[in-house]
Amino acid sequence: MSKKIAFKTLGCRLNLFETDSIASEFSKNNYQIVDFSDKADIYVINTCTVTSMSDQKSRRVINQAARRKKDGITIVTGCMATNYKEKLQDNENIDYVVDNDHKTSVVSIAEAHFNGEIVNDEQFQRDLFKYEPAKDTFHTRSFIKIQDGCDNFCTFCIIPKVRGRASSRPVEDVLNNIRKVVEYGYKEVIITGVNIGRYNHEGTNFEGLIEKMIEIPGDFRIRISSIEPDGYSESFFRLFKHAKLAPHMHICLQSGSEEILLKMRRMYTAKLFKEMALKLDEMYPGFSLTTDVIVGFPGETEEHFQETVEMAMSIGFGHIHTFKYSVRKGTRAERLPDHLDEREKTRRGEIIRVLSDETRLNHRKSFIGRTQRVLVQIILENGYARGFGEHYIPVIIEKQNLDTNKFYDVDIVAINENDEPTLIGKIRN
Amino acid sequence: MQTTGLHKLIELINLTESTYILRIEKKDMQFEAGQHILLGKADDNDQREYSIYSGTNDEYLEVLIKEVVDGSVSIHLKNLNPGDLLKVEGPLGFFGLSKDKIESGKFLFIASGTGIAPFHSMVKSNPNLNYKILHGIRTCNEDYGKEDYNSDRYIRCTSRENGCDFEGRVTDYIRQNDFDNDTICYFCGNFKMIKEAMDLLENKGIPGSQLHAEVYF
Repeated sequence: MSKKIAFKTLGCRLNLFETDSIASEFSKNNYQIVDFSDKADIYVINTCTVTSMSDQKSRRVINQAARRKKDGITIVTGCMATNYKEKLQDNENIDYVVDNDHKTSVVSIAEAHFNGEIVNDEQFQRDLFKYEPAKDTFHTRSFIKIQDGCDNFCTFCIIPKVRGRASSRPVEDVLNNIRKVVEYGYKEVIITGVNIGRYNHEGTNFEGLIEKMIEIPGDFRIRISSIEPDGYSESFFRLFKHAKLAPHMHICLQSGSEEILLKMRRMYTAKLFKEMALKLDEMYPGFSLTTDVIVGFPGETEEHFQETVEMAMSIGFGHIHTFKYSVRKGTRAERLPDHLDEREKTRRGEIIRVLSDETRLNHRKSFIGRTQRVLVQIILENGYARGFGEHYIPVIIEKQNLDTNKFYDVDIVAINENDEPTLIGKIRN
Repeated sequence: MQTTGLHKLIELINLTESTYILRIEKKDMQFEAGQHILLGKADDNDQREYSIYSGTNDEYLEVLIKEVVDGSVSIHLKNLNPGDLLKVEGPLGFFGLSKDKIESGKFLFIASGTGIAPFHSMVKSNPNLNYKILHGIRTCNEDYGKEDYNSDRYIRCTSRENGCDFEGRVTDYIRQNDFDNDTICYFCGNFKMIKEAMDLLENKGIPGSQLHAEVYF
């Protein structure tokens, strides 16, 4: 009888990609993938440590697995596993701790365990990119890892410590990965990495890589996920003219205050960010720009915070992912003075969240009367189809008997103004 | 190509009571002027970022360090002896001169204290560079590496001593002088100085895209 395995992924899209690939390997080796709430022989938890909240969530999931596993095993990997490796190795609820450098060895570690061998991750070769393209994944879209690590050393960020220095996957490997998943039938690929804008492999930079990607034949589109706002040129923006490249980027602002950006050691100014946002909107009206904002960075005054609020209002982001600043041990910001009270951070976070809801609704409303190319992801109970347009806005198509994982050209006729404002569309005749 | 490894200390050169240069084995590290390394004692997990002070063609690596009172790295590094091992990771960072501007660009380097380090490396690495340095220091003896700059291009802005080149802060110098709008400006050092100097230069008409900063706090 095949063994059952359950996965839980926390954090970023890079983790999602890596879990997909590992799960696909287990599936090929005849393991049965079950829901994380079900009884399994192996629980794999791909953790995150970007904030203290991420640590808490990761710990909670580890404890859930410990309660369920009985005779099974728990394998903890990802950024929290890397950051607190020794501590987690002492946790009796965890059987194996696998750091990011050796994440691709999870399958081998599990196989060895059931063959009566006890191995540890460091017996395997370090490999950041040995992830096979996944055929069956937990998602209808395929994540493609192009890069790992970061050299920016923003003062708040623990990622350079847990993901290491920047490293780029060879161009041909990336392109072959895309060709393969398109062959598997995926219609949308999402470019992931830690700092994808800094991609550079043997002279090919991020822009050059995207140029090669959009030349790959097939009916699919490419979405750039989270990216840092530095190093763009106008020629990069022109690539969005190509139908394959979705007009959407999640560009991390973090703060609208020049002073706080300097203290964060970000490599752009608020002014340049705004100019870039306006340029994108001028070139591609309605361009979907989403962002991250950190509230309560050490020394952030009310005036600094208001600069962020004003900037968010003037740009009109499609969505703002708000983080309360939390101390990450060993970062430069840990040693900065004037750390803020937790309640004040919560208050500021709430203000940004409310503002995000407003700007998101306004941005989405502007699509009424326009068309979207919707990739259907699920069929709802009433038979209507739901999916995402090229701007990464959810759309319900009011028609039955449509197929999932298929593109439909849709006229947007209305919007549902609920918690997750959703566009309503009709198939174009 | 980034590397992580142990490098021998060649020499510790004291410049003032609290500021010193560590000259370290370069091994095969290739870097671009302006980049930094992570540095710490071989047996210590604590590392700090230091801009490379030496030129790209020098046979050794140098960093310029100001001892931080109550710090946990700089104070220990000062007690090292030649031959001791240091953990070095790098080179890192993107604070460098655009290659296409090195020949023809007009550069203004603005530093406070040991923030002069990346500019020292840039000048040593590019002998024909068209540059001017404004160095914010308290007293004249903090003019680290003065002999490596053309005296017409190096302006000491002293806040607590007269008799150097300019009496006052770098920001005072900027207020009182004009700069061509095509000047490419680099800032390194104290955060407050950088913020103020950037604002002043932008108000004098230098585009934001020509301002590049490395904060030392």
